[in-house]
Amino acid sequence: MTSFSLFEIFLDLAYSWTRMFIALLLSILFSLTVGILAARNKRAEAVIVPLLDVFQSIPILGFFPIVILGVIAIIPSQIGVDLSVILLIFTSLAWNITFGVYEAVKSIPHDYIELSLMPDVGSWRRITNLYIPASISRIVYNTETSWAVGLFYLISSEILTLGKSSYTVTHGIGVAIITFASANDWTGYTYSIISLLVAVVIWQFVFLREFALWSERYKFVEEPRGVRQDPLMRFYSWMTHKSISKLFLYSHSRGVTKFSSTFYRFKDGIKYSIVILLAIFIAFELGASWNLNIGFPTQIPTLASILSTEKNVIVSLAYSFVRIWYVYFFCVMVGVPLGIGVSLNSKLYDGLTPVIETIASVPAPALLPAIALVTHQGELVAAIIIFLGMIWYIVFNVMAGIRSLPAELFELRSVFHISRVQAWRDIYLPAAATAFVSGSIVAIGAAWNTLIVAEFFIVSGSTPITQVHAGIGKTIALATNQGDLLSLTLAVLSMTALIVTFNLVVWRRVYHYTTKRYAYNR
Amino acid sequence: MTLIRGENWRYVPMVVLSSNNAPIKFEAKAGQDSVSGQTLQGPVVDVERISLEFTKERDQLPVLADVSMTALQDQFVSITGPSGCGKSSLLRIIAGLHKATSGTVKFNGTEITQPRSEIAMIFQNFVLLPWRTALENVMFALSSKREYSEDEKRDKATKMLDHVGLKGFENVFPGELSGGMKQRVGIARALALEPEVLLMDEPFSSLDDLTAGLLRKEVYSLLINPSSSIQAVIMVSHNVEEVVELSDKVIVLSQRPAHVVGEVNITLPRPRDRKSPDFYTWMDKIYSLLA
Repeated sequence: MTSFSLFEIFLDLAYSWTRMFIALLLSILFSLTVGILAARNKRAEAVIVPLLDVFQSIPILGFFPIVILGVIAIIPSQIGVDLSVILLIFTSLAWNITFGVYEAVKSIPHDYIELSLMPDVGSWRRITNLYIPASISRIVYNTETSWAVGLFYLISSEILTLGKSSYTVTHGIGVAIITFASANDWTGYTYSIISLLVAVVIWQFVFLREFALWSERYKFVEEPRGVRQDPLMRFYSWMTHKSISKLFLYSHSRGVTKFSSTFYRFKDGIKYSIVILLAIFIAFELGASWNLNIGFPTQIPTLASILSTEKNVIVSLAYSFVRIWYVYFFCVMVGVPLGIGVSLNSKLYDGLTPVIETIASVPAPALLPAIALVTHQGELVAAIIIFLGMIWYIVFNVMAGIRSLPAELFELRSVFHISRVQAWRDIYLPAAATAFVSGSIVAIGAAWNTLIVAEFFIVSGSTPITQVHAGIGKTIALATNQGDLLSLTLAVLSMTALIVTFNLVVWRRVYHYTTKRYAYNR
Repeated sequence: MTLIRGENWRYVPMVVLSSNNAPIKFEAKAGQDSVSGQTLQGPVVDVERISLEFTKERDQLPVLADVSMTALQDQFVSITGPSGCGKSSLLRIIAGLHKATSGTVKFNGTEITQPRSEIAMIFQNFVLLPWRTALENVMFALSSKREYSEDEKRDKATKMLDHVGLKGFENVFPGELSGGMKQRVGIARALALEPEVLLMDEPFSSLDDLTAGLLRKEVYSLLINPSSSIQAVIMVSHNVEEVVELSDKVIVLSQRPAHVVGEVNITLPRPRDRKSPDFYTWMDKIYSLLA
């Protein structure tokens, strides 16, 4: 029974890629506007940079149901659905690219800025002739590196909209994959996955790479060749950057540092939570006044209902927290030896890197139906999906971390006749430590994002394909399905609070400690 | 005093060592050595017709072309040449870290095919383990010495740090040491092995001029003295002043593919004064070979 046609799959791919493309264009426009503004205006900088930091560190996927409810409330049509998918992809690309533009413009050599400040050069000419060209290589670079993340969001959001018939995405490769899977058409499913892979490979290795080579000419300063040519090194430096900014350690200029330090003081925390609560309140009110039949409560929830909901949310958070950390343990056990082992052998490294890159760019949610077919243990399915969402961050970071070390460090082993066991203990593992920690920070962040798909997965009807006993992802998914805005909001906010607190209290210290103790700088 | 040899010059071993490695009377070559004049062993390190080619994208890239040289008992030998000519590659072949395309390197008569515990190395960028203290870094070199207990290793390493002038810095991490001190740890680490041959890869070029000058002043007597285990030192350096200050013999390499353009035996008495006119004469000799 072949109910699929390759043409339709191709059409679905075209839909998905169009969404990605629009999101990318929007991200670039946004990044140019906001990035240049932040780089050239001290006051704007003090607001924008910390905000971008926060946006980067929250699990955007969790907000998706809220976004889709909101957008559809305003534009109740297919366009609204598409718009929210695009908006979600946008959020996975925009902050990172904006940081890139901000840094690029910020690091334009001072002579050029002075040249552009000559009387007959207007600000428009300054932007088009200096700021934009200076940003191009970073835009391309950051696009290249965040594309896999964007793809993850694309597939997830296409899948997530399937829950309710009132707002579904009708075309898209994610839709195709799930539709085939739920119709038990595994031939179609396999073809869709393969098509997705082919599209990823073509896009990654043909377009983005060419694009990257073209953008080289826009660089002010030449980077060391190795860094420039090795895609993994690009990925790594982006990763490190991202994880650092995730920790709010971002400090490129004094203004920003000053702002960040006050920003995160306790009383400002209260101020900002009031703003957030106000925004939620307004959202509730708006929803109520429109009186739309999509689950907005028509009255403000009582304190008692908030407290009892929050109690459930905290329990499910605890479940998810434990789940993520035990899966993380497995990721470390596999990822660290794999990453170090591959990097120590140049032939293995050259041969395996493109393969690993390709495998890693397959979004885990697309594989979920196939995994659920093999096992019906909800806990196991969730663990596998989280594992796939996390492992590559650790492998890539460890690989790039080891490769960035000078060859002399590895000659030590031969010169001093160090045994294999001791070399791992005294050289390789400590040498990989800083890269491992930044990889872990990003990996754990990514894990929270996968939860919403991994813990509860429903296609149509009322029986989910897979579900766990309890978890924050399940809570969010269920709340979305039932239109329970209170649970949804509390779940998303509590998860965000936990992640941000954990980053500040635990990761930040671990990161500081490892960079102080284990960073290799001669 | 100066022997300039053309591209096709080939070193013919004058003495074939007996297998038991006994000292043999050796007729010194034209450049009579100032340090060890009378009784000499065969060469401690004997580099015979080393060639090295890299394969890059199906192109053969010749790096070293037929390089021969020796280091005799108690000799401080320097290898110098234009940057990128393959000096460091040659040193790594001597260390047994890299394989030559053709040719052999012998240590006291036996061919070097892999790193040996009698040969220690000092690196340009120190290469200390940042996560280990100065003392632990020195002890690291003794890891493979199973005959020593952990306490003995600690004692040896402590003595070595004292020897290089770092008493009191045992428990300091490399990150907290200055460049000069880091290289002192590097030297202590190499000496702790009690090597017979010491290889140095641009040991002073990561240091600022002042620090490098001070360390250079100490290093010769630190390495070559009656109580030292070291029989020969081979240093790679592009700094002519440093080469003249330290070496008994200088091997000058050409541009890629590198071959030996000259071998200079420096007979200046030690300690050498960098400001003396004689010093400049020797520097000029080497510059004329490099040009």
